[in-house]
Amino acid sequence: MNESAAIELASEALALARAAGAESAEASVSIARRFHAEARADVVARLEGSTGKSLFLRVFRDGRKSTLSTSDLTSDGLREAVAHTVAHADLVASDEYAGLPDAHSADDADLRLCDARIAQRDGADKVEEALDLERLIRAADPRVTNSSGSHYTDAVGVTALANSSGFAAGYGWTRAGRSTGPVALDGDVKRIAQYGTAARHLGDLEASGAVAETAVRRAVDLFGARKPPTMRVPVILERDVAASLLEDLFAAISAANVATGNSWLSGRIGNRIGSELVNVVDDGRVSAGLGSSPFDGEGVPTRRTPVFERGVLHSFLYDTYYARKLGATSTGNSTGGGIGPTNFYLEAGAISLDELIAATPLGVLVMDTIGFATEHASGTYSRGARGFFIEGGELAYPIDEFTIAGQYTDMLAGIDAVAKDLRFDGPVVSPSFRVAEMTVSGN
Amino acid sequence: MFDEALLARLVTRALRHGGDFADVFCERRRTLSYRLQDGRIHDASYGVTLGIGIRVVVGESAGYACSDDLSDAALTEAADAASLVARSAPGGTVQSVNLSFERVASFYDGVFGDGVDAGRYVAMLAAADSAARRYDSRVVAVNAHLSDEVQEVWIATSEGRLVHDCRPLITFGVQAVATDKKERGSGYVGDGGRTSIAFFDRETPEALAEEAARIATVNLEAVPAPAGEMEMIVGAGGGGVLLHEAVGHGLESDFNRRGTSLYSGRVGERVASELVTIFDDGNLEEERGSLNVDDEGVPGQHKILVENGVLLGYMQDRLNARLMGVESTGSGRRQSFRFVPQPRMCNTYMPSGDSSFDEILASTQRGIYAKSFAGGQVEIAKGDFVFMVGEGYLVEGGKITAPVRNATIIGNGPEAMMKVTAVGNDGRLARRHYTCGKGGQYVPVGVGMPTVKIASITVGGTQHE
Repeated sequence: MNESAAIELASEALALARAAGAESAEASVSIARRFHAEARADVVARLEGSTGKSLFLRVFRDGRKSTLSTSDLTSDGLREAVAHTVAHADLVASDEYAGLPDAHSADDADLRLCDARIAQRDGADKVEEALDLERLIRAADPRVTNSSGSHYTDAVGVTALANSSGFAAGYGWTRAGRSTGPVALDGDVKRIAQYGTAARHLGDLEASGAVAETAVRRAVDLFGARKPPTMRVPVILERDVAASLLEDLFAAISAANVATGNSWLSGRIGNRIGSELVNVVDDGRVSAGLGSSPFDGEGVPTRRTPVFERGVLHSFLYDTYYARKLGATSTGNSTGGGIGPTNFYLEAGAISLDELIAATPLGVLVMDTIGFATEHASGTYSRGARGFFIEGGELAYPIDEFTIAGQYTDMLAGIDAVAKDLRFDGPVVSPSFRVAEMTVSGN
Repeated sequence: MFDEALLARLVTRALRHGGDFADVFCERRRTLSYRLQDGRIHDASYGVTLGIGIRVVVGESAGYACSDDLSDAALTEAADAASLVARSAPGGTVQSVNLSFERVASFYDGVFGDGVDAGRYVAMLAAADSAARRYDSRVVAVNAHLSDEVQEVWIATSEGRLVHDCRPLITFGVQAVATDKKERGSGYVGDGGRTSIAFFDRETPEALAEEAARIATVNLEAVPAPAGEMEMIVGAGGGGVLLHEAVGHGLESDFNRRGTSLYSGRVGERVASELVTIFDDGNLEEERGSLNVDDEGVPGQHKILVENGVLLGYMQDRLNARLMGVESTGSGRRQSFRFVPQPRMCNTYMPSGDSSFDEILASTQRGIYAKSFAGGQVEIAKGDFVFMVGEGYLVEGGKITAPVRNATIIGNGPEAMMKVTAVGNDGRLARRHYTCGKGGQYVPVGVGMPTVKIASITVGGTQHE
């Protein structure tokens, strides 16, 4: 697999778009070979291997934008779809901000996006890795008697982008992941947990033993959990839960949501929103980061953008269109069709999670949440949760079937301690942190 | 458009190392979509999905490969990749497979945008924008979208069946954002189904937009939701999200065959109040979850999951049904040719009971009335579920008092279902805009419910006195 085939296909789509009447156009092509092995006990439950190719095209005519997404790359199929897409632009309103970026460039910075070992890996080894995780979770605790499956996945791909202003570049990437879902049984109570790791390089993956141990701990530690009383207390959000809150925060930072009335941060650039500890960054250049790439979905170079500095809202994140519309500069956050994070994270603090718990006389540790609805217009947060009740700086007893809730403004302003356990195992990540007060709703 | 001889050859090739069965799923999907913001059409998109997925099943193992390249060489490579799973299994002899075409009854018309003047789609969005703004001057933003798609599938199985289906799906949604000096509120309404644009002659874009604007202005005036355990009235229609999360997912056969669901091995047992009956139906006209045939070629069915509180059965796909010694219930679904089928819900609903809404309201001393829902999620081993209120009200002394801000409700499936103390006589299906996610795959579903009273549940607001 190499970039030139993808660049060639993108260029071919551009030529078709120009021939069909587009004034300017941009095409991106992604080609990837994916592998997935799932084991359950000593059985290989699933074995998947496929190569996929897809093309995304944006065309502009008189300030009208129309897009195409297709996996039909036969020459007749592509020609017909491109013609349809160009004609489709007639239905769209002319918009002075629509169009290709003013400047674009590709540099040679080595972002370490590829691990050659992934493409060379033997299929049997990968299957063995999934089977090994199944053995490890069962060995970790006798109460683990079942699982929802253990997985090894990897992908080797190229992404290319070309536009009618002369940009044409591509890059290769890899990623691999392992995850497991132990099911533990204690009496007639069943507990399921899920934990996994992902990285661009095999060597950056968390070891299988550690993955199994964390997953099993999340299942068995919660046996005997009860509902906590309803109260307002300090809440520590463990790493993964903290990351999901950062995903919500990203939605409010996305210029597309700011422009459409769906951000509670609208109009608040320069305001102090969070505590001194709130330093949030979007950085498309993190070495081997899962959200890293040399350029974004429009060919704009990625960069490091400080979003919150010591609690002050510094910048939203933009693609070309919303930057023009809101009078800013693209931050290299285009996904092609919208605005997305690169590596979006809260900067780490200096203490460990254990020290953070020890420094909490009374509170709640949240290890996992369910639910996803966030009212981005008003900034209301509410989730189902499970974890531990903290008394005297120690994990006193497990709790579940409760919710945590608050307003984002109060939560960000209330962050009074940040741990050092930040790890770049996804595009949106966070260290564990503590919020001085949230509503815990239980009994 | 897929050659019968080619499909037969691929099924045969996939079984070259043996296997219990194999299938080839061919898909061609075309989607037109339009988005409005700032009072004008912001973009138009066209999507084409074309490809083939090949599966081989041996015992509880599945081999899968897909290809968007339809050349002989690429498809043969995919069949070979799928066949690998059977290499170490005890092999049977593979005969060549002959396909015969089967016709299926239709619960929807195969109407697609190709025949529609696209100007109509755009006019619908514009009409929604003006209607929402006209409704209330505090409406400051309107975002609307419309998508119209047709998914054609051809499914060939190693039993020699070949079926074809053509599934339309149209979705129209409008979001209104209202603001005064201090607060912001938003409201969303969506509708459509496996039908054509003519549906919106009945449910007009203007009426849907006014509804979204109304919810936005209600939410603008909403007070923070209470925290703690209290009574709950689940609204008719969209309240079906509760069934989908609290019970439905736990009755999908993969979880039960693997013993990971809390409902595993409990067929014939009491799992809910005797007022509770739950159906899952693939045969309802125009509903999002309806299927003439599922993604394994099995006709959709009407299934009784729970009757008067007793668990009657699971939703089955072919792989799990075979291992559990039962028949598929036509519940094998997949997002696209890139995914293996999973047992999934179609349209999940509860039939009407005897109580009137007024009786249910009058019986509620302190609680929440959740009129509409923004979604939900469940953890299937212990059965804890959440659902998110889209439009909700405080109920005090048998009367609706004030709207409350969006809150998450948390409960445990069987516990909440045991606490159902009244079922309304107003059962209906929800507006059609729900999509269900499982294992990274998203499929359209329907839900429905009468007004239901739950004696106590935990409301996750911020107000604790």
